[in-house]
Amino acid sequence: MAIDARPAPLPAVPPDVTAEPADAVDAFLRLSAALTGFDRMELLGTGMVPRYYDELTRIIGAREVGTLLAAAGRVEPGHPASGEDLDRAFREQILDDNRFGPVARRIVTMWYIGSWAQLPREWRNTYGATSPDVDHVVSAAAYREGLAWVAAGAHPMGAKQQGFGAWARPSRLRPGTGAATSTVTGVEVDR
Amino acid sequence: MSEPVVTDDGYDVVIVGAGIAGATAAKVIADHGGKRILILEAGRSTGMSSDKYRSHVTAYHEALAKVPNSPYADNPNAPQPSVLSIRQLLPGPAAGRAPAAVLDTGGYFVQTGPLPFSSDYTRALGGTTLHWLGTCLRMLPNDFSLRSAYGHGVDWPIGYGDLRGFYERAEREIIGVAGDVADQRYPGIDGTYFGGYEYPMERIPPSYLDQVLARRLDGQTITVQDHDYEVWLDSVPAGRNSTPRDGYQVVGAVGNPEQGQRCEGNSSCVPICPVQAKYSALKTLYDLQRRHPVTAAPTGQRSSVRIVSQAVASRVLLDEHGRVSGIAYQAYDDEGSPRYEDRVARGKVYVLAANAIENATLLLASGAANSSGMVGRNLMDHPLILTWGLLEEKVWSYRGPEVTSVIPAFRDGAFRERHSGFRIEVSNWGWSFGPDGLYSTLATMVDGPERLFGQRLRTRLGEVVPRQFRLALEMEQIPEESNYVTIDTGYRDRLGNFRPVIRYDLPDYVRAGMAAAKEASDQIFARLGVPPLRLDPAGGPVDDPDLFPFPRDYTRYERADPGYLTYRDTGYSAGGAGHAAGTHRMGGSPRTSVVDSRQRSWDHDNLYLVGCGNMPTVGTSNPTLTMTALAIWAGENIVEDLRRRS
Repeated sequence: MAIDARPAPLPAVPPDVTAEPADAVDAFLRLSAALTGFDRMELLGTGMVPRYYDELTRIIGAREVGTLLAAAGRVEPGHPASGEDLDRAFREQILDDNRFGPVARRIVTMWYIGSWAQLPREWRNTYGATSPDVDHVVSAAAYREGLAWVAAGAHPMGAKQQGFGAWARPSRLRPGTGAATSTVTGVEVDR
Repeated sequence: MSEPVVTDDGYDVVIVGAGIAGATAAKVIADHGGKRILILEAGRSTGMSSDKYRSHVTAYHEALAKVPNSPYADNPNAPQPSVLSIRQLLPGPAAGRAPAAVLDTGGYFVQTGPLPFSSDYTRALGGTTLHWLGTCLRMLPNDFSLRSAYGHGVDWPIGYGDLRGFYERAEREIIGVAGDVADQRYPGIDGTYFGGYEYPMERIPPSYLDQVLARRLDGQTITVQDHDYEVWLDSVPAGRNSTPRDGYQVVGAVGNPEQGQRCEGNSSCVPICPVQAKYSALKTLYDLQRRHPVTAAPTGQRSSVRIVSQAVASRVLLDEHGRVSGIAYQAYDDEGSPRYEDRVARGKVYVLAANAIENATLLLASGAANSSGMVGRNLMDHPLILTWGLLEEKVWSYRGPEVTSVIPAFRDGAFRERHSGFRIEVSNWGWSFGPDGLYSTLATMVDGPERLFGQRLRTRLGEVVPRQFRLALEMEQIPEESNYVTIDTGYRDRLGNFRPVIRYDLPDYVRAGMAAAKEASDQIFARLGVPPLRLDPAGGPVDDPDLFPFPRDYTRYERADPGYLTYRDTGYSAGGAGHAAGTHRMGGSPRTSVVDSRQRSWDHDNLYLVGCGNMPTVGTSNPTLTMTALAIWAGENIVEDLRRRS
């Protein structure tokens, strides 16, 4: 039997391969804003959104990510206005869920310090262990973009220095715009 | 094994170790002109150009555990200790077993206990100054006569007055120290301590935390063991670029002198200053390469300094007259492979500058310099305990150099008859010390009982982290022959060199110092309005530390901590300060010391030892500045010896 070594002809109209991933990344961004308390612009400003989406997909797989984003998407529509309700709904349906909660907390940690922490043993036993799911720093850039330092009025040690003598003066907290996931809107600027 | 190749001959001076002690001795000798000098470094070259140095900054950013050696890769051909290897060696009392020493061979050190030696060092070009903090306190006059003044330890054969001029040279010519003399108000000194001196650069500004603490503490009296002490904060002199005084030429980054001319507040002095505003020995080595390049026949002001990395000294060779005839070393091409070539370096004078512990193992392996039996003995550190809490007001921690102020009240005084002196460091890095404080705080908030997320998490972190503060209470350890580093044919590294085998314990004198230090800290916390956590389930309301109530003192010492020890039924978790010292001490007699006051071996008249190993006692100051002053003194003596020989 002859083997046809020619490549298959390209389809006349390429399928829209960008539509779904872009939606997914956007859903990941919405979820990240809800989980971190940092708004979309702040998160986009780190430059880490696509990298963290990829990292999450690499670690727990596309199906698990899709299920999580779908669940997160179901939380939002019913609660467009009320921060407290949305907060509670998020806690009940995502954070307290056996499947989504542990992953959501790892996403928070990833955003806050740029590191992934291995999922709990129970989770890996139930939903499947993967080889990339080990403690690691996502990248040097991820470390430098850690949100915890911003939330603390500090800067990542060894990067984004504040200048000579800045440590002799009080710092301040960057006023959050108040992501619509909490009643806590007035972030203390200074004491 | 085949005969080693003598590839390096005809040097005036052969130096083992390219850290600050070796680089300092080399610079002093080279600057006299006309000298041929060889420096052997066991580890790899690390960033003698700006871009290569930056790669270590990236390694630090990428490191999961940001410990002192995290930017500097492990090298099996020149292995180095890691603080991640420190284990408890005695089962705690809670384990219900009779204490029995447990041998820990898991790290580079072979630890025989009963306490672990908890400090590390770096084996790479630049040595441990790559990750030092930069604190440059001089020793106090009474530190040199601990035996005659307080009946403990030993006296030095020299006094503060002998070293004062060398301190000044270390601060100006080698390290570059920023500080204000007016801020140095130590107990036990008078106007002659500094004379009319001023540091080459203005002080590093005290942190906002320092200022808050100073407002509450300066001039207060605290009572420790029924004695009253006045406390105050002093800004600490540091090997870190600040604003120069009187035409002092600031030294910037290696290979990029426009960078690092002033501290930028990267807040990562340990383990790496990204801009090299903090001194490291790389600066002195680079200066040597530039001003004293390798030539066959150095003349006039110019010397020839050759620096060879990946060269592990394995033996000090002695001739029949008891003089050193060469340094046998192993030259390796690739740390991924155990292959090496045996070589010998020969010169007129030899200097061991490989760190207190490595100098000792090298001498023991060579059967050299040890007629006193003191090589490896009297191993010291500054054992420390930490205390930490949340203040009522925000002090904006995790910013600036780790330490900009100290409380010097307990550095000297009559109490040293009863317990060790100690220095109190105020940390600007929140609860961080080894394990990152901010990381564990975040983990508690996210994974702990509250399971915080979203805006609440962001807000809570902003309430708690800026209130974190920490003290480090660092004891003076006294020399004891029973604390030692030795060698054992059963424990070798990949190239066949001896791993350090360490026996370590702390005497009651130091443990009593810890108890006094904790008492002092408790009183300081009280003056700061920081009460203890209420943890007793028997009475009244109980604080849950995982909910971060403030102000509170969060200090807790766990039986499972690696350095856990007890004194009079109270537990303390001791750590190390990275200040290994005392292992080849100087003294007035060849029977009780390894080198004389000129830093020369009593046994071999062409062998000098430099580094903290020469220090008979360590006082309460970080030892690098004193070591550097002594290395300058050694360098001058070597020049004198060479002059006499020729």
